[in-house]
Amino acid sequence: MRMDRKKLGTILVVVSVVLILMTVYLAVFFAPLPQTGVKSAGEILSSVEGSKLKVAGFVSAVYSIHFGMLDGPDEVIFSLADFRDYGRYLQANATHSLNQQWWTVRPIDIKSISGGLNSRMGPNLGGVIVVGANLSMDGIVTSNTIAPNSNVTGFSLSSGSGNDITFGSVGSFGLMTAPVAQKIFYFHMPSAWACYLSFGVTLVGSALFLRTRDHKYDRVAYSSAEIGIVFATIAITTGPVWAKQEWGVYWRWDDMKLVTTFVLWLVYIGYLSLRAAISEPSAKARVSAVYGILSFITVPMSFLSSRVAPLLQSSHPQVIATSSGSLSPQAGMTIGIAVVAFTVLFITMLIKRVEIAEAEEELEELKRKIGDEE
Amino acid sequence: MRAALIIAAKDLKVELRSKEMLSAMFLFSLLIVLAFRFGFSNAVNPGAAGLPELASSALWICFSFAAILGMYTSFAKEKDRETLDGLLLAPVDRSDLYLGKALSNLIVVFFVDLLSIAFFALFFSFDYGGQALAVVALALLGSVTLVLVGTLVAAISVNTRAREVLLPILLIPLIAFSVIVPSVTATKNAMVGGIGDSVQQIESVAAFAAIFAVLGYLTFDFVLEG
Repeated sequence: MRMDRKKLGTILVVVSVVLILMTVYLAVFFAPLPQTGVKSAGEILSSVEGSKLKVAGFVSAVYSIHFGMLDGPDEVIFSLADFRDYGRYLQANATHSLNQQWWTVRPIDIKSISGGLNSRMGPNLGGVIVVGANLSMDGIVTSNTIAPNSNVTGFSLSSGSGNDITFGSVGSFGLMTAPVAQKIFYFHMPSAWACYLSFGVTLVGSALFLRTRDHKYDRVAYSSAEIGIVFATIAITTGPVWAKQEWGVYWRWDDMKLVTTFVLWLVYIGYLSLRAAISEPSAKARVSAVYGILSFITVPMSFLSSRVAPLLQSSHPQVIATSSGSLSPQAGMTIGIAVVAFTVLFITMLIKRVEIAEAEEELEELKRKIGDEE
Repeated sequence: MRAALIIAAKDLKVELRSKEMLSAMFLFSLLIVLAFRFGFSNAVNPGAAGLPELASSALWICFSFAAILGMYTSFAKEKDRETLDGLLLAPVDRSDLYLGKALSNLIVVFFVDLLSIAFFALFFSFDYGGQALAVVALALLGSVTLVLVGTLVAAISVNTRAREVLLPILLIPLIAFSVIVPSVTATKNAMVGGIGDSVQQIESVAAFAAIFAVLGYLTFDFVLEG
């Protein structure tokens, strides 16, 4: 049995190394660069003003789009105004027609929301679009208040008040200033996925431990949490590397995706601190299992960070969309392989970490025996 | 449920006799508000336009820290006086113990919230402008959520070494987006007379209260076992 597991471990190590190298190769040589270019805000806006707006976005598993409606199930009326310049990225606030206090309002009708949506709609109901959906909508852009000289590379729409349509993908003229930096996305998004997966395993392991009191589940739970922190660290450090190039800043506190993921990271650091602060093994397993379950609430908070807490502006999904508004097949294939690679890597690391945990416990046991004999 | 009320009543009776925690928390909230007053003395004049923003943030920092102090004490005291074992031996469901502790914590925490709201008005010459009731209601709602998760985490941390440091480490990230951020926004809106703008925030805090209550009710048993 033990021998078989060792063999499996070796195979997994080889497979994950191959997959990671393949991801690197595809990301560097195969995935196309997004379009690049800088326009002045005035240039973009004059081309936008009065024109029909079509915003399309590809939504992947990690980057959900959320929207809600106030006026009724059939129609959302909002305006596009108050463009704000965030570094080199232009962001527009869309607001609901009743809520006029901040800017001039001339309405846009959203004509269609199409694609493979899986959403619930209705007054005050949020909708969540799941994996692989395409979202597009039409409208007329009518007002803006940005300084026309600032240089921008695209724009996104997001909610002004938290009550309206909220989404954040690059519009049809999304151009990136740092197309090469975008390649980090093929490692950033899969690490975020792997960290959600790890913390999910921690949740399941913790719950199973409390149910069965079998310490093997506890070992899986904390091993997975440790690995999850590694992946979360990769996600929250690769993000800023890209952001500095694209947005001109490393971090944006107004982007909820960033902030909630940071909090997620802190919570699981807390989980490990908790374990370190209890010496008695069964109490350690029991108490940290409860916290391991409680901590998991931060995962959906980060994952769905546009609706769960209601403050929520996130222009984070910008990176998903290339200029055409959806991932090209090559980019899609690269990201697919990257996700598989990181998943296999996670499984490999988990198996290895659990083996180490078993060895550690065995060692403790032996030490105790020696101590008893003396 | 009756057991929960009895436990809460017991806690409050002990508290009213000793007044240990209440007096400490009274001073604590007084000093936090004072610290804000001194810290921001150059940044705001009484009646300044940005005061609602400052007030809502300062109040929620004050509420959170006072609540952490209060919830920590409620278990640490039992542990130190070795009354926790007695409590655990009592023939009541552990889940009722959780609800009872949460209820007594809520009453103490809410009382301190009221004090802080008053201190803030006093030290910052801040006029709640007829919105004091809304601010108080939001403080109550936020405190319910805070106490429901805090009681569970305080019970977790009381098992550990360095428990007084660990409680904030474990609790603050959990309450950041479930309580503090939405409550600060809602309180700010309430102060400028627009509590109606914060329906989502209020719903979110209430939803987290429900989630934490269910989690606490189901898992409290495991925390205090053994």
